[in-house]
Amino acid sequence: MAISVKASWRTNAACKIYSGYPNTYCDLQTFLLLRSLCATPVFLFPCKRGFFCYYERMTIGIPKAFLYWKSPGYWETFFESLGCKVVVSPPSDKNIVELGVQAADPETCFANKIYWGHVKWLEGKCDKIFAPRLKTNEAGQEYCPKFFAIPDLARIVTKTPLLTASFDSRKEAFIMTLQRLGREVGVSKKDVLAAKTKCDDGCAGIEKKNRENFWRKMDSDKQKILLISHPYNLYDEYCNLQVEKKLNQLDGEAIFLDEAASLGSGGEFASKGVPSLHWEFGQEMLKMVPSVLARYRFDAGIEISSFQCGCDAVIKGYVEDVFRARKTPFLYLIIDEQTGEAGYQTRLEAFCDTINARA
Amino acid sequence: MTMETSKKITFARWGNYTVAIKALFERLGFEVVLPQTSNETIVKGVKHAPELFCFPMKILLGNYLGAIRQGAVAVFSAANSTGSCRQRYYGIVQEKIISDCGLSVEFVHVPLSPRKFFGVLSKQSGKSNFEIASALLFSFMMLVMIEKLEARARYARPRELNQRDTDKAVRASLELLETVKSFGDLYRAGRKINQQFSLISINANKPVPRVGLVGEIYGVSEAQINFGIEQKLGEQGIEAHRQMTLLYHLKKLVFPWMDWVITFRTRKYLGSHVGGHGRDAVSEMLTYVKDGFDGVIQILPFGCMPEVTVRPVLERIHKESGVPFLSLSLDEQVAEAGIETRLEAFGDVVHSRFERKLAAQKILDGNHDMLKL
Repeated sequence: MAISVKASWRTNAACKIYSGYPNTYCDLQTFLLLRSLCATPVFLFPCKRGFFCYYERMTIGIPKAFLYWKSPGYWETFFESLGCKVVVSPPSDKNIVELGVQAADPETCFANKIYWGHVKWLEGKCDKIFAPRLKTNEAGQEYCPKFFAIPDLARIVTKTPLLTASFDSRKEAFIMTLQRLGREVGVSKKDVLAAKTKCDDGCAGIEKKNRENFWRKMDSDKQKILLISHPYNLYDEYCNLQVEKKLNQLDGEAIFLDEAASLGSGGEFASKGVPSLHWEFGQEMLKMVPSVLARYRFDAGIEISSFQCGCDAVIKGYVEDVFRARKTPFLYLIIDEQTGEAGYQTRLEAFCDTINARA
Repeated sequence: MTMETSKKITFARWGNYTVAIKALFERLGFEVVLPQTSNETIVKGVKHAPELFCFPMKILLGNYLGAIRQGAVAVFSAANSTGSCRQRYYGIVQEKIISDCGLSVEFVHVPLSPRKFFGVLSKQSGKSNFEIASALLFSFMMLVMIEKLEARARYARPRELNQRDTDKAVRASLELLETVKSFGDLYRAGRKINQQFSLISINANKPVPRVGLVGEIYGVSEAQINFGIEQKLGEQGIEAHRQMTLLYHLKKLVFPWMDWVITFRTRKYLGSHVGGHGRDAVSEMLTYVKDGFDGVIQILPFGCMPEVTVRPVLERIHKESGVPFLSLSLDEQVAEAGIETRLEAFGDVVHSRFERKLAAQKILDGNHDMLKL
């Protein structure tokens, strides 16, 4: 017996039950709809009130890499408020990186390898893995080509089904894509809107926290070191080799670029001869670094780049030039799966000595 | 018209196509300093380029630096404003590096959209529209001839009876094309080239395994950086095929539906373009598999963003179809001996597969005859 899921009122009726009330009473028709909608098994028990419908909520796995660090917590909040269970992979560690290195192409960037490690870790621990295809952001800037093929490659890497949508703001508004994503989970458009509002509030909270952090760190007497990188290298404790902790031990204050940039960008500080990049993460860095350096006093800068990052190869020279023009010490660190921590420690110590000698 | 002292210019070397590009600039009235790719220029490019940039950029930079030393005052560089990969920033970064080296040259970004392309050329050369159109036509015709002779060479090489005959013919043809100055000469050169190729004695009935070359366009078509892979395969008795030529790239710029077809063909494997010629590689491999090729070789510069992204997809196609697949990534550290060994091993796999196929075909044909009786 086949029921058309396309009829919107029916879908919505089923969705309401699906999203709001996991185990509930319903009629036979709704049960059949539910069964066609849900990724998880749905069981039906006849009882006095009709039927008791039992099912597990869909579990969605979110890899804690790449996109996750762009807005930490955004996607958990989103899917949780849509009534799904969410599994986030643990912070990167050696095992996850090893999984990733085995699964990924040997020549992709290190951050990408870590991503596949997280996807591998989630395998079998959830009903669907959230692996979106990121193409352009709302400002019309592209992501790295490696983000374009994430679902296609994820289908090769893992057998767990994927929850995916193509985020291409040139073709479709962000909220529309979210609503399409919501339909796959079985949630109405209205609920998706509400969830998005909740997520945006969370993001605003993070911005506020960033700003507070920034002022607190700027007030300290320690040497202020600007950490520059893509969010997925910067906030991943394994990827950045705990550079913040290490710098603190060496009597330095590490300030993330995002924290400094949370006070708003100053377009007027953009330096000459710097190309405008079409890559979102790269452009952010290229725009922010000169403006942040022009506004506040930093004693040094460290750029962390993952090995084989195509974007960093382009912008490295320009970032270095900004620091050179301001006569500020600058350290460029490349990380990959073979990086030893001891080597880093030595380099950071030497670098901190340089800064202290200057001061 | 008074003859002014013509400007000395240079451009990026690109395999056999260099001849056609040189002809274009010469007809536009420039004096061309022919760029060279040698170990020296590569080392120079590698030294000045950002470490993690892709290999072709370093080679091109070496080309420019070498030519500037020989007296070039302007560099013509193809600027791509729509791609998703690093190729988009070649010109900008190279210009910066060259000026950082303290060299003052004019760096001309030639956009690849047909209209802007024309505009830049007319501004730079000061020639009339007719002259530019004629120069473009001339170099285009030459390009077509070069690709034709490349294709004939690929066909003849595994079948030739006297070794190196084809290579000699190719070299002679290219040398002939370099001396061509007028349309009439071009026509005569075409006939001469045809003659040279028909003089190669080949065994046309010899069954020959076919291998498709996919991958990054520069790596695939520049024999100097892929160590003459077509030649090496030919010597092993394997016929190399490739779709990825300069003409193909130009066609794709003009006819958008070629991309639509590729999108449709690859939809099961790749849901989006990945910049560069990543999706084309998938589409080509699918075509080769469908056409019953005996192997596919992917050639990419080390860390090429699109090609690295699609490599797992190509490997998936290889696993599904069973067609042997080899991926060669090239950079300044790769030695010819390493590539040779891998190609020889791959050639053995291809040959054994082909022989098995032939044997199976024979049995099938035999049965067929029996059924007829």
